[in-house]
Parts: sequence; C-alpha cells; structure tokens
Amino acid sequence: MPGRITQNMMNTQLLTNLNGNLNRMTGLQNQLSTSRKINKPSDDPVGLSYSMRYRSELAGYDQFEKNVDGAVSWLDYTDTMLGQADSVLQRIRELTVNAANGTNPEDALKAVQQEVDELSGQLVDIANSQFNGKYVFNGELTDRLPYSKTNPEDSVTDSGEIHFQVGVGTQIPINVTGNTVFGNANPEENLFGVLKELSGSLQAGDQTNVSALLGKLDSRLQQMLNVRSELGARTNRVELAQDRLKDISINLQNLQSKTEDADMAEVITNLKTQENVYESSLSAGSKLIQRSLLDFLR
Amino acid sequence: MRSTFSGLEIAKRSLFSQQTALQTTGHNIANTNTKGYSRQVVNLVASRPLEAVGMSSSAVPGQIGQGVEFSAINRIRERFLDSQFYNENKNYGDWSVRQDTLEKLETIMNEPSDTSIRTVMEKFWNSWQELSKAPENLTARAVVKENALALTDAFNHVSGQLSDLNSDLTENIKVKATQIDTMLNQIVSLNKEIRRVEGLGNDANDLRDQRDLLADDLSKMINIKVTDTANGYNITMGNTGLVTGPTLNANVDSDFLEDAVTSGELTSGEVRGLIDSRDNVVASFQKQLDTMVKTLVEGDVKVTLPAGSVLRAGTDLNPSAAPVTLSADTEVTVKGINGLHQLGYSLNGDITSPGEPFFTLKDGATEFSAASITVNPKITKNVENIASSLRTFNDTDGTTKVVKGNNGLALLLSGLSTKSFNFDPANTGETVLNGGTIDEFFRAFVGEIGVQSQEAQRQASNQKLLVDQVDSRRQSVSGVSLDEEMANMIKYQHAYNAAARSMTSFDECLDKVINGMGVVGR
Repeated sequence: MPGRITQNMMNTQLLTNLNGNLNRMTGLQNQLSTSRKINKPSDDPVGLSYSMRYRSELAGYDQFEKNVDGAVSWLDYTDTMLGQADSVLQRIRELTVNAANGTNPEDALKAVQQEVDELSGQLVDIANSQFNGKYVFNGELTDRLPYSKTNPEDSVTDSGEIHFQVGVGTQIPINVTGNTVFGNANPEENLFGVLKELSGSLQAGDQTNVSALLGKLDSRLQQMLNVRSELGARTNRVELAQDRLKDISINLQNLQSKTEDADMAEVITNLKTQENVYESSLSAGSKLIQRSLLDFLR
Repeated sequence: MRSTFSGLEIAKRSLFSQQTALQTTGHNIANTNTKGYSRQVVNLVASRPLEAVGMSSSAVPGQIGQGVEFSAINRIRERFLDSQFYNENKNYGDWSVRQDTLEKLETIMNEPSDTSIRTVMEKFWNSWQELSKAPENLTARAVVKENALALTDAFNHVSGQLSDLNSDLTENIKVKATQIDTMLNQIVSLNKEIRRVEGLGNDANDLRDQRDLLADDLSKMINIKVTDTANGYNITMGNTGLVTGPTLNANVDSDFLEDAVTSGELTSGEVRGLIDSRDNVVASFQKQLDTMVKTLVEGDVKVTLPAGSVLRAGTDLNPSAAPVTLSADTEVTVKGINGLHQLGYSLNGDITSPGEPFFTLKDGATEFSAASITVNPKITKNVENIASSLRTFNDTDGTTKVVKGNNGLALLLSGLSTKSFNFDPANTGETVLNGGTIDEFFRAFVGEIGVQSQEAQRQASNQKLLVDQVDSRRQSVSGVSLDEEMANMIKYQHAYNAAARSMTSFDECLDKVINGMGVVGR
C-alpha cells in the first residue's frame, strides 16, 4: 500500500471489495437457486464433461427401459396366445381320446369332428393373432397374414427375428415364428395338417387312425410346451435386464448428483458468511467515508 | 536606505501569493472527483532580496527579504506509473473482451441443461429405438421425423447464433475504430494547444490531465507507447506511429486495425481481443460444430450388418447387378447417417433405385454444416420414406417386396450413437477430438469452451487487480486528499490573515509617520 491515501482511493477500494463480495454472493445464490454447482461450462469444465456423459447415458437407459417394457408386453402377449393355443389343443386331445374309444356311435363322431373343426379354426385365429396391429407369429412380415384360413398346413411363416435393444450392444429377439410353434409346412409335423387329418378320419369314422393321431398331437403339445418354456426363459432374461437397467439408472443418477449438485449445507453456510462479510464491509464503508477533517473545522 | 513603502509591498505580495495558493486549493477540492485530475501545488519561493539603492553598497548588514512569489503551479504526476498503467490496461482490455465472448458462447451452448443440442440429439437417437419397436408404424416414423427436424433446427439455430456473434464482434471493432480515431484527433489538438500555452511559459496542467485521460482510455483499446516530447505526445502502436506531436499519422478504421493484427503491430487491447475472438475463438467453435455435423451425416463409420440383410445391386457395397443376401453378420464401412440410411428399405417399397439420404443440403449449399443441414424434404413430406428395414422377400406373386417388420436399419442407426467416427480424416489437427462418438466430440467441444472461458475469467480478474493496483498507486501520488487540502487551506488562510495583519501594522507605522510626526508643540 502506498503511503499517501486519498478519500477517492478508499472509495475505489471499498467499491472493488463490495463488488467482489457481491460477485461471490451471486455465484452462491445461483448455486442455491439451481441447487447445482455446475451452471455453466466454465464453472467446472472437467465435472461438466462427466455430467454431460451421465445425462446422455441416463437418457439412453431411459429409452432401454421403455424398450424392455415393450419387449415384456410382447413376450407376455405371445405367452398368453400360446397358453390359449395350449388349452385349445388340450380340449382337442380330450375329444380325440374320447373319439378313439371304439364305443362311440357315428353321429357322436360327427359331433366331435364339428367341434375339432371349430377348435382348429380357433387355433388358426390364434396363429393369426395380432399385437398392436402386428401379426406376432409371422417373423418380420408382421403386416402379412401368416396362416391362410383354408390351407393353414401349407403356410410358411417368415423366419426373421425381431430384436429389441435392451442395453448397449444387447439385443433380445422377442418373437417366435408360427412354424416353430405349429410345426413346419409338411403334413407329418404340422399341427394344422394333423388336425386336418384328424377331422378327415373322424368324418370317415376311422377310429384306428384317430388313435394313431393321438401320438402326433402329443408331440405337437410337447413342442408347444418347449416353445413356451423358451419364451419364459427369454422373459426372465428381459426382466433381469430390466432390473439391471433400473440399478444402472439409479447409479448414474447418483453419480450425476455427486458431480452436479451443490452441497446445500455448504452453500448456505458460505452464503451466510458472505452476507456477513458484505454487511460488515457496507457498515465499514459508511463509517470510513462519513468523516473527514472538514467535520472538525469550524 | 529602504523605501518607506516596501513593507506594504511585501504584505501585498504575500496576500496575492497566499490567495493564489488558496485558489489552487479550492481548484483541487473542486476537482476531487474529476476523472484523470492530478492535484496541483503552488510553488512558493521567496522573492529576490534587493540591495538598498545608493551610490555605494549599503552598510546595513544582511540582505532584507522582499516577501514571497510563486514561480509555478505544478501538477503532481509520475510518468512511470502511467506507462505501467498502459501496459496492464491493454491486457485487461484484451482478456475482458475474450471473457465476454466466451461467456456468450457458453450461453449459446446452454450446458448443462435439458434443452441443449445434446438433448435434441439424444431424442433423435431414441426416436430410432422407438421406430425399431414398431417399424411398420407411421406414428413411430413421425416421431423420428419430428426429432430429426428438431435436431436440424437446433444445429441451424446455434449456427445462426454463432454467425450473429461473429457480426456483433465485427460491428464492435468498427465502433472501437471510430472511438480510437476520435481520441487520436483529440490528442493531436490537445498537443497543439498545450504547445501554444506552454510556449508562453505557463504549465497547461488541466489540458495535460485531459490528454493523459485520453491516453488511459486509448491504452485499454490498443497497445500504445507514449513518448512526451517538446511538441507533445508521440503515440505509437508497436512500430506504427499514430500521432507525432501536432500531426496525426494514421487514419484508424477497422481495416487499419485488422491489417495491424496481421502485421503483428496490434498485439493487445480490446480491439485485439475482439479480432481474436471473432477470427479464432468463434470461428474455431463454428468450425468444430460444422465438423461434427458433417461427420454425423457423411463421415466414415463401421457398422455390422446382420445376416439376412439384402444389399441393393449396383452400390459401393454390392457392385454386381443382382441384390445379395448376406449369409453372416458382416462389418462394413458406411458414410455416416446418410450412407447407412441409403442401405435400408422404406415403406414406399422401392427396392431397386439407391436409397434416399436422410439429411440433405439447403438450397444453394455445397457442403454439410450446422447451417446447411436439413431433413430430406421427401421424408418431411412422407414419413414412409424413412428406411427402417434391411430385408426383402419374394412374394407369392413372384415380386420382391420389402420386409416391413424388419427393424435392422433402425437398430443400426440408433446404434450409431455409440459408434466411433473419424472427425479428422485429413489429419489437420484442428478438431477437438480425432476419433470418438458424436457425443464424446460434443462433450470435448463444450469442455473446451469451458476451459477457455475459465482461463479468460481468471486472466481478466487478475489483470483487473493489476490495473486497480497501478491506478491506486497513481491515485496515491496524484489524487486529491481532502484532509490534505483542508490542512493546506488552514495554512494558507492563516498566512493570508497574517499578511493582512502585517499590512495593517505597516499602515499604522505610516500613519504615525504621516499624521503623527512633526506636530511637536502643537
């Protein structure tokens, strides 16, 4: 400090200091009102780049969570449909077992045949079921009817797998194709082919063949069960992914908060300190400036 | 033998001198708050003593004083502090302008927030994921379109803001040039006037203060060197003469200043800060942003096409005449979003002609940049033109059709967000990041702004401290202290009163001589 002091120097000094105090207070108040310690890139360039990454990743994981929800509902729907197909098939099997019993009169077999035909139609409807307007059992040709009403046993479904992204680099197929569930398009292993043959045998009263077809029905039921258990495993996998995504999201939010959020206790304490400093510099200012030699001269 | 009246003369001189000192004190007090004012003092000296008039040297011992005179009225100022002030002030001007520009850039980038380019970009990537869940759905396509439009709007908007900042800076340079020109002209005319006044033997204190104040202001805008000569101030910027005494050497306009930056004469000050901010800081960040957009749209990136994908005939990847179905996952290099989008098939069912680019240039533009990017008008008109599928199939009627439920392309496109691009294929070293994801590039870009802004803030506040310090030392020398002036006032007033008293005393003596003597015996 130079030796000679003038009133104006004190004034300037006071103003500079007051301005500095105010500046620090604005910074703290900004932190308090936004509850963040990084409000612009220059506040903490390194922290900011982390914070931006956490924000981007969070947005990405939010999307994955939505995708997982979509995957789960698709898988659930498929499972429900397969469950229905399963009960229809069980009913057909019951009827077939009854019909294979040699004591049935011919008109009873007719009635059984009618019911089997009805149930077959229902199975075709199930195979043609739509989720959100999309055929679920036709691979990626979701806009095309997979099974024809008249000759479902000849229909070839698309083998494409529909993938949903449920994580960075993790894609899960969420569909099963009609041919996997109901068998390929040859009469030996195709469910609809078996049912058609069953219906023909019932009409012809060929009880031997009807009981022979029971074995094929069972193998179809078994196949359907296999598909359902695979679906269940897949649903498990998606649900695991869902849990993991939630955990990651929470972790990221934690990290983001650690990087970005202001420590309120600290900010408020600092702000209070600054307020005190500001007030004392104000009062010091008023005391310093108000007197000069002038006041003591007559 | 002395004159009878010499005592009166001494008292009169004293009255005049003390009054002048009092007046100067008053002048100082009056100018306490005048910017650039230096306090003035009256230089009082004892008058030359007189030899008594006579034929021979007086026999009276000692010389008899003849009272007081003032030899000059000086202003108290230290030139060294002035040149120090110019030096610090130019750097303060430079850094404060940079700080200002970078703070504006920070506002334009708007990070961290949920409304920045980064957010729009996230939404764009996510919309492709939405599309991957429902590729045959027009609603999901509309979401992709809207988010793509939001993205290009954001790029266009930020680019526009950067251009605005650029032209603001140019405008500011022009204004500063005019100010500098006016100041130099004022200094020239003050030089002339001071020479005229001082030629008559007086000190042109107040005019000199005005000239120094102008030099102070000038030193914040450009780097100047001031030399005091008999003809007035010579002012140079580097080696370029601006003012030589009564002549103006240069007509300062923005072209002159920009040439001075090129030739290396203009090294600091607000103007240098403005020109650097515009040509380096803002231009560089604009270039980074353009690079990012260009790379996003058409930069080389590796993607893995899944097995079953059908490559169109007659393209870079499949030059043969027939479409090829991939039997295994294949890694290929495509040209950005556009290159990838062109591989895919859209709902319009077109499988022969090359696919549509996703982004196109605005009318008249030749290169992708933040300003020129826009969504392909065909897509904005009809969202069916957004490609999402990578497969075709042969329908029962023998025609080849698009597998509308395939989401391969949508997945690959949303996956570009985590793919590494090459931002500097020509190896110029000018990009903030050579290779990395788009997101990483943007982070590096914003981080760079943050670092530079932080540096500018620190430099500016340091420089401000230095300027304040020098100024306070200058104030300590030249500033008016009211206490001091009041004390002086008492001193001079008492001296004045005493001089008046001594005149009264001489008056009484004379009264005695004139009216009281020679009346003996009356």
